[in-house]
Amino acid sequence: MSGPVPDPELQVDDLVKHYRGVKAVDGVSFEVRPGEVVGLLGPNGAGKTTTLRMIAGILTPTSGRVLVGGHDVRHDPLRAKHRVGFLSGDTQLYQRLSPREVLRYFGRLYGLTGAALEGRIERLVAELEMGAFADRACGTLSSGQRQRANIARAFLHAPALLVLDEPTTALDVISGQFIVEAIRRERAAGRAVLFSTHIMGEAEYLCDRLVLILGGRVVDQGALPDLLARSGRDNLTDAFLWHAGRAGAGAGA
Amino acid sequence: MWTVFRKELTETLRDRRSLFMLVALPVLLYPLLLLGFSKVVRTQTAAREARSSVVAVWGPAPADLLAAGDALDPRPGAGLPAALGEALVAGHLAPPTRDAPKPAADPLADAARAAIKGDVDVVVVAWPGLAERLDAGDQGQVTIYHDSVDEDSRHARDRAERALEAWRAGLVRARLVDRGLPAGFARAVDVVTTNVASEDRRAGQRLGSILPFVLIVMSLMGGFYASIDLTAGEKERGTMQTLLCAPVLPTEVIAGKFLTVWAMTLLAGLANIGSIAATLWRVVPGDPLGVGPGALVAAFLLFLPVSFTTSACFLAVGAFARDFKDGQNFITPVYLLLSVPSGFTLLPGVELSAWTAFVPVLNIALLIKGLLLGDATPDLVFLTLVSSALYAALALALAARVFQREQVLLGGQEPLWVTLGLERRTGQTPSPVMALVFFAVAAVIMFYGSLALEQRGILATLLGVQLGFMLAPTLAWVGAFGLDARRTLSLRLPTARGAAAALLVGVSAWAVVAGVVLRLVPQMPESLVEGLKDVVLLGREPGDAGALALGLLVVALAPGVCEELLFRGLVLSGLKKLGGWPGVLLTAILFGLAHASVHRLLPTALLGVAFGYLVLRTGSIAAGMLAHALNNGIAVVLVHTPAAAAWLGVEDPTAALPWSVTAAGVACCAAGLWLASTLPPRCADEPSRSSSSAP
Repeated sequence: MSGPVPDPELQVDDLVKHYRGVKAVDGVSFEVRPGEVVGLLGPNGAGKTTTLRMIAGILTPTSGRVLVGGHDVRHDPLRAKHRVGFLSGDTQLYQRLSPREVLRYFGRLYGLTGAALEGRIERLVAELEMGAFADRACGTLSSGQRQRANIARAFLHAPALLVLDEPTTALDVISGQFIVEAIRRERAAGRAVLFSTHIMGEAEYLCDRLVLILGGRVVDQGALPDLLARSGRDNLTDAFLWHAGRAGAGAGA
Repeated sequence: MWTVFRKELTETLRDRRSLFMLVALPVLLYPLLLLGFSKVVRTQTAAREARSSVVAVWGPAPADLLAAGDALDPRPGAGLPAALGEALVAGHLAPPTRDAPKPAADPLADAARAAIKGDVDVVVVAWPGLAERLDAGDQGQVTIYHDSVDEDSRHARDRAERALEAWRAGLVRARLVDRGLPAGFARAVDVVTTNVASEDRRAGQRLGSILPFVLIVMSLMGGFYASIDLTAGEKERGTMQTLLCAPVLPTEVIAGKFLTVWAMTLLAGLANIGSIAATLWRVVPGDPLGVGPGALVAAFLLFLPVSFTTSACFLAVGAFARDFKDGQNFITPVYLLLSVPSGFTLLPGVELSAWTAFVPVLNIALLIKGLLLGDATPDLVFLTLVSSALYAALALALAARVFQREQVLLGGQEPLWVTLGLERRTGQTPSPVMALVFFAVAAVIMFYGSLALEQRGILATLLGVQLGFMLAPTLAWVGAFGLDARRTLSLRLPTARGAAAALLVGVSAWAVVAGVVLRLVPQMPESLVEGLKDVVLLGREPGDAGALALGLLVVALAPGVCEELLFRGLVLSGLKKLGGWPGVLLTAILFGLAHASVHRLLPTALLGVAFGYLVLRTGSIAAGMLAHALNNGIAVVLVHTPAAAAWLGVEDPTAALPWSVTAAGVACCAAGLWLASTLPPRCADEPSRSSSSAP
């Protein structure tokens, strides 16, 4: 780190992804710094999930670059992945293993062993109140319990960057609260958090900065007051709709 | 990798369903099957023994005809139509003779068939004049009509035969006594046949023809379920993505999964062999098996390479499936394809030879059979293991390739055709799966097409196959799927260096095959060599200039163009997306398979490797065409002009090539391939790679 502004933990440069001729992501660039929560905001199909998957190293970008802690995800995937905790609605757990076994397995994959691993697991089980179901097979858990186990899985190796793909979607208020608290705790611990959502309220009250994405392109980014000022609207939903309208008009012209 | 393996194994072993299929089923199956089977057979046999056989006796029979037989129930005239009975007594019918061919119409046989369908088991016909002839010291005629398909009829035949034989022996004895001759006079020599096969070998033969089949078919099931669960099942449950965001390399994932599938297959194999052994030794103590535990242990050890290959194949194919059901649909054909060859061990005469040693799965099945029979020779064992290791490595390389494709790993909501790469690909080159499907379609067309053309003569068949069933389907496919013909078929000229490389390989490849391969593995059967020679001569004699020209056109030029466009064009352009070498090798194996002969599989596949490498390096189909046409052309010239063949010392096509020619051929071919390897890569041919890795 140099000076008062820390180096970005995540740096995304001109990221492009084509799926069989369709441009799902078309030149996306932004940064996330340690201790910062950035929201990736956009409608369904805007390219949020694809962008986050490329950051997590699950998909290979058609072009562009993702740096995590200075490591290029494509060329040095193992080191980059060590710094990322990824969580999405699609990341499921092994049904025939218990949460504790899943955590042990992933812990080993992340290079944790022995007492350090067990200690970390116990802390997460306590923090996320998983004691009651930590030894039952994941297939028998409720969706809220599963999501908590999943959070533990993503946070297990104390990643410097958390990438959360619509983490609260399909969760009830109480389960969602675990996520919100976890995000706040991680920010306080100086970690960088990037999460995608299409729920404006959640974005408004959690995020330090927002990246608005439409049709695979970033239409605006910055702190909430700046976004509102630029669009001339007084709330995020209207600002977003204003951008959507401009993009639609641009595409029509 | 070991972490992945340990976790996958734990998880797989917790799946009760597959564990049941794996261990409990064989443990229960064999004792039940064998006990139940022997019980049913025993009761049936007992019931048959207890029942008398109904014998219809037609014609004027002596009263004591069947008197010597046990459990016979003779019924004179039963089931005989009245008109036929009159004709028989009147002597209008002639008895069938021992050596004469079966008469076209035998009304008595038809009547007997009808009677056996009724409540008669067997029909004995005493031909008119029987009693009179016997009295005169002459020979009479008796015929037994039976139906070999009907178990009761077969049994009754044996009983009737025994009764008649005893009756006949009595008559002979009486005649000898009458004339004061010694008892052995009529028989003169007693011939006795004794089986020298040891009990070991007989048991081995019985077990050897069945065990490899049962072992492979049953044990592959273990890997079958595990491979679906670890690929399609994991995708369906959404855990693949979770795993991919952890810092593991795809190769570690595939290695861990592969080891799990392999372990499960081996576990199934162990359960099956154990259960078979226990059943044979403990449950059926009356059947001395004679096959020691050593042979079963060896059978299990041989199962290692087979299961290695099949596990990798299952995994590679399973990776394409989106969910469990998809996985079953994909892997079932592969399972059948892989296990059916082991069924050939059930056929008599299929034995391990230098040729069958190269057929995957079958080779090991035959080796197990040979081992149980005690006649597996060390060189064949070695050859089999080497070729199996080769297939195993290839299958694993394929699986690893498949796992590195992200669409395959994440395969979301897209339709099946798209996942498989079978959709119309306007302006593109085919996907690997499309190339395989095309090959399968073309192979079926070739199979039926050449059958249809068989009657039209050699020339029509050759031209028909090349133009109609190779060239036409290739062009039609390229057109129908909107493929980029230039890139798919590598339609461009080679550089001078590339052409030189093709030239060198083309003039020498035959010598490498004839000199090295045919020396290492024993002779092709003479009939095959003669057949090939006939094809090349187009049914004419050597020295016919017209036939030589025609032969060059049909056997050298046409395959050079048509086969190359099909294999090194369409098929290779798809398969090379799996990687240069896997693509070339797979294409070569398909090329070898297309020649539809175990004996030609290895030589043609090796030629295919050389041609494939040339096309891959030069980026030009013309290089493959040149080498292929030259290779075949030289064979044509050698067969047509014995003088040239004599000069090279290859007059006898079944003998190995002289060492001098072999060495020259190897050197020339190696030089050609080396030259090809120095060519700069032609990037325009790798659009799939360049597009994904462009900065």
